[in-house]
Amino acid sequence: MIAKRLQPMASHARRSYVELMFQVMGRALQAISEVDETTRTETRELPEGFLFEMQVMPNGPKLIVEHTGDGRLHFHGDQAPRPVDLSIQFKHIAHAFLVLSFQEKTSVAFANDRMLVDGDISYAVRMTRVLNRLESFILPKLVAERAVKEYPANLKLPEKLINAARIYLKVASNFVETVRA
Amino acid sequence: MTNNYYEFFCPVKVIAGKSALEHLPYELTGLAAKRPMIVTDKGVRAAGLLDPVISACEESGLEIVSVYDDVPPDSSTSVVRDIAGVYRQEKCDSIIAVGGGSAIDTGKAVNILVSEGGDDIARYSGAGILKHPLKPFFVIPTTAGTGSEVTSVAVITDESKGVKLPFTSSFLLPNAAIIDPRMTLTLPPHITAATAMDALTHATEAFTCMAKNPLSDAYATAAIRKVSQSLVAVMDNPKDTDGRLELAQASTMAGIAFSNSMVGLVHSLGHATGAICHLPHGLCMSLYLPYVLEFNLETIREPLGELLLYLEGPEVYSATPAARRAEASISAIRKLRDALYKRCELPRTLKETGKVLESQLESIARLALDDGSIMFNPREVSLDDAMAVLRRAWA
Repeated sequence: MIAKRLQPMASHARRSYVELMFQVMGRALQAISEVDETTRTETRELPEGFLFEMQVMPNGPKLIVEHTGDGRLHFHGDQAPRPVDLSIQFKHIAHAFLVLSFQEKTSVAFANDRMLVDGDISYAVRMTRVLNRLESFILPKLVAERAVKEYPANLKLPEKLINAARIYLKVASNFVETVRA
Repeated sequence: MTNNYYEFFCPVKVIAGKSALEHLPYELTGLAAKRPMIVTDKGVRAAGLLDPVISACEESGLEIVSVYDDVPPDSSTSVVRDIAGVYRQEKCDSIIAVGGGSAIDTGKAVNILVSEGGDDIARYSGAGILKHPLKPFFVIPTTAGTGSEVTSVAVITDESKGVKLPFTSSFLLPNAAIIDPRMTLTLPPHITAATAMDALTHATEAFTCMAKNPLSDAYATAAIRKVSQSLVAVMDNPKDTDGRLELAQASTMAGIAFSNSMVGLVHSLGHATGAICHLPHGLCMSLYLPYVLEFNLETIREPLGELLLYLEGPEVYSATPAARRAEASISAIRKLRDALYKRCELPRTLKETGKVLESQLESIARLALDDGSIMFNPREVSLDDAMAVLRRAWA
């Protein structure tokens, strides 16, 4: 009985968590493209003006980033200025929660058919590498190992800490700017 | 409870064995199809492979209304549009694709146009665009390797934009796949070898990559057993009808396996090599398989060790210590490649192909990193990793 009453609250909490994580990830994607040259090497290959979306089907939370040139990404929140070029879609909010709470790796979620790709698959592979790199930077190693297929062996602690600090600082600044606006 | 989860889907009726072609008229009439069109290529027609198909239908009073036999090796949007035009002009009501991967993919794409309408196949590119079942569609494979008869994917080149358009939908699957040993009896030795290695690779990657599941595992292991037991025998005796049927079934089973569990780095490298050096797909699979398995070894030691049972049989499996079975599986695949090299000089290294330059390896590696199948490889692959595998496969 109690479990039944708690169910709507749990669903609401799960949805709020996914929305919050998308907000953080969108800003973090913008930040990593500003601080990390390896990421820019990946994102430079995307066409300028390329819009990337991660979304929960059918009309759930979403994040949208745009490649504005020279490998830099810009977070658009959940509103795309025009039709997106690439969309990675979770089939259900529960699947997004599994991935964003690091219970299931992104690669495993793909293998488990939890997510669909709408758009050029080679760009989806590229964006997945960027997401993996982001998670390797900003998450503690123990958590990151649950999120990515293979934690990069060449990522040393000083590099990780410095980049993580710069990314978090930019994410926080962006949040403040958004609130002020 | 673990997070384990999988999906498995294969609604294709498989009609296999002696006189399988003669079941085609019954299957067509079962779907109220009276005016079928055959989509094929010149090679198939020249080899006389259409004759048993046409006579099987005629003997049952079913006329093949039109035969389009000009499908190129890399089918294009204009070819698809032309065939759809013929289909409409002749008032056909069903499609029979006879051939290898290109003819089958073309048949799937033509079926989209004639079912959904219009002349621009590019409109339907992507995943999940199709929402309705298509016209009756049958596939008769003439190679034993691609498994296209049981996959829900087609790839067609848009020559105006110079890109390959992917089409993915369960509605692309044929109503039935007809596996008749007569259709592969005249395959030349090097194509027999390369396509069988394609099937072996489909099954091996399906069994060792990230989306493996219990149902695809069953198909994969059965396919590996059939290829291991029959390939060399067929190479020694190409008219071995039973062996040919075993290989054809293995191809279909491997197709069912990999279309439900995907493939990995062998395919990423193979697709890139095919695009840059224009090597046949099956040959690329044969070239890279052992080297990629070595690269993935520590991640796939357990499933790869299990495959020894299907590659070498129960005696070798039981005589090999469990800790050595994975390496023994790779050795078995190398031994098979050596046997094929001895019989038809199927290259075992990139250098042996004579069509790849060492200077192209980096381009191949870079392109492979963006291939969709790399997502399902059990190990993460960096540019250095891909280069290392390519260097080992070089010579």
